[in-house]
Amino acid sequence: VSRRTISGIPVSSGIAIGKAFFMNKRLSKSIPRQAISPDDIPAEKARLEEAFSRAGDELQALRDKVPPELREQALIIDTHLTMLRDPKLLRRALDNVDEMGINAEWALFKAIKEIRKVFESIDDEYIRERIQDVRLVAERVTSKLTGSVQALKSIESRVILMAHDLAPSDTVGLDVNKIMAFATTMGAKTSHTGILGRSLRIPAVVGATELEDSIQDGDFVILDALQGKVIIDPDEDELAEYADRKYQFENYTKNIIKQCRLPGETVDGYRVRVMANLELAEEVRGVRELGGEGIGLYRTEYSYMNREDMPTEEELVKEYLDLAGAVYPDRCVFRTLDMGSDKLLPAYGLEESNPALGLRSIRFCLEHLDIFKTQLRALMRAGVMENAALMYPMVSGLQELHAANRVLAEVKRELKKERVEHNPDMPVGIMVELPSAVMIAELLAQEVDFFSIGTNDLIQYALGIDRANKFVSHLYQPLHPAVLRSIKHTVDAAHQAGIEVSLCGEVASDPYCVPILLGMQVDCVSMTPQAIPGIKRIIRQTTMADCDELLKQVLECRNVTTINRLVKETVFNNYPEELTFYSSILDMEEV
Amino acid sequence: VRNELGLHARPAARLAQAAQQFDSDIKLVLDDREVDCKSILDILTLAVPQGCGLELRASGEDAGEALAKLENMFKNRFEEGQG
Repeated sequence: VSRRTISGIPVSSGIAIGKAFFMNKRLSKSIPRQAISPDDIPAEKARLEEAFSRAGDELQALRDKVPPELREQALIIDTHLTMLRDPKLLRRALDNVDEMGINAEWALFKAIKEIRKVFESIDDEYIRERIQDVRLVAERVTSKLTGSVQALKSIESRVILMAHDLAPSDTVGLDVNKIMAFATTMGAKTSHTGILGRSLRIPAVVGATELEDSIQDGDFVILDALQGKVIIDPDEDELAEYADRKYQFENYTKNIIKQCRLPGETVDGYRVRVMANLELAEEVRGVRELGGEGIGLYRTEYSYMNREDMPTEEELVKEYLDLAGAVYPDRCVFRTLDMGSDKLLPAYGLEESNPALGLRSIRFCLEHLDIFKTQLRALMRAGVMENAALMYPMVSGLQELHAANRVLAEVKRELKKERVEHNPDMPVGIMVELPSAVMIAELLAQEVDFFSIGTNDLIQYALGIDRANKFVSHLYQPLHPAVLRSIKHTVDAAHQAGIEVSLCGEVASDPYCVPILLGMQVDCVSMTPQAIPGIKRIIRQTTMADCDELLKQVLECRNVTTINRLVKETVFNNYPEELTFYSSILDMEEV
Repeated sequence: VRNELGLHARPAARLAQAAQQFDSDIKLVLDDREVDCKSILDILTLAVPQGCGLELRASGEDAGEALAKLENMFKNRFEEGQG
């Protein structure tokens, strides 16, 4: 390997120094073609057969966990399973190994190419397009050949885990203790890998486009997730420099953690609650440790993903009670299922052409009432902890809110009739994350107990940007005048109606954005636990007068470039030392 | 083939799965083309439209049983209903 540096997007800060290990690679480009000696051909064929069988088991397991309501998805997976188990597909690939003396990956790749040729000549467009299904199936097998969770289990030492992309389902069941850092080819500022890295307090770099071409398993690398770099085969000077930088960063982190239990309050006495966003129930232990004043957003999806069947009401009740109990008497806000086809069954979703605008979140729940009711029952029952609250995601208008509330009322009636202990007065809020909800915030505010502004989605929907698409992710502008006005309008509407408004989303954990949010007088900010100490420290050094002034100036700016420049200069002048180790979600190039 | 879209992915999957249950060698014949009925990929490449007549050929111990079962599947539209 020649020494070189590749760049990516830092999404979870820190530095790691160690060996690379690939969990998966993309199918098409990077498939290596290797000649196999005749002696090794039987072993290579066995490897191919095993990959088919493991991919089949994995798909079968996925199939088994599809709830009966999602018959469509089950049928798609059935088709894929039949393709995977097609005697011709395996036979063709095995023959290629035999006849050409090539490695399993290439043999399969070649088999797919041959099949593609046959399909291309089919007139029926629908059937012709089924080659895409064949391709998906082949990718699954290839991922079994090039490395996997399974392979990671056999590794003794800790590694820097690399992948083409990490889907939520890939990371379920990962042995966290073996992972020093994450690096992926795909992904953007707000992708899942970042959330995962931050919640595990593991450095992560995504969108490193040259990753797979430049790095092999076992290469020694430095992953710099402060600046977004991966240095391959570093020299001694670099090693020394980075060891030192790693030490300084970890020291700084330790330092701010010491002060993190102090309240989130500005110098001139404005109090803002700093809360935690949680994805995994286990993370709750870190919340108090890092100074979190409750849970502002618990994403309830994980317990639906890490398993073969649907969780039972009893399991959910226990999970929710434990969580609320762990932060009592601080508030614990549960967001009802926010799944779309991309999260529920990655790659085998509802085959929606545009899942972000599809049957997801509250819409999905309102279509699958048994799933929704089971969760609402569990939440109502966990509501006996008075600090628990629930909120609906992705509400677009009053009708959806009313529909959800009707289901909730029905659940309450049932629980009452069954004499099951629950809290009928559990506070109910909504996520404000669609532009439509912003526009009618005054109307919604009259009918809910609180608002939580989900900026990640709001920015996407307001600006029409898919944040995970690296070709447009630079247009994902948290401080776009339209976004700022949307947030301000929502906060004002909430306060006018006398309800609380919190803000969860990357913006809340961005040191440059927080002063503006304070200026808008949000009641709480909720963020990944890892970010709480740093943000609290910034809040405690600022004054509301400064924040007011900054907000006023920002609202006078006519475009986002001016806003970003103004915010960076102002915030950087006020707290230079605080920002040494921070990367902002604002575009840093202009500083 | 009574299914509206012809012998598309799902019926093809069902047909291949069913054929795989038998030991006999089972072929599906359309005009001069003959494919392995146990292979979904083979079946799909025939691209059989609705209303098309197919010939099933089986040879082996359980050939009769296989033909009866598979013929039946065609008749009830692979449980796909009218649409």
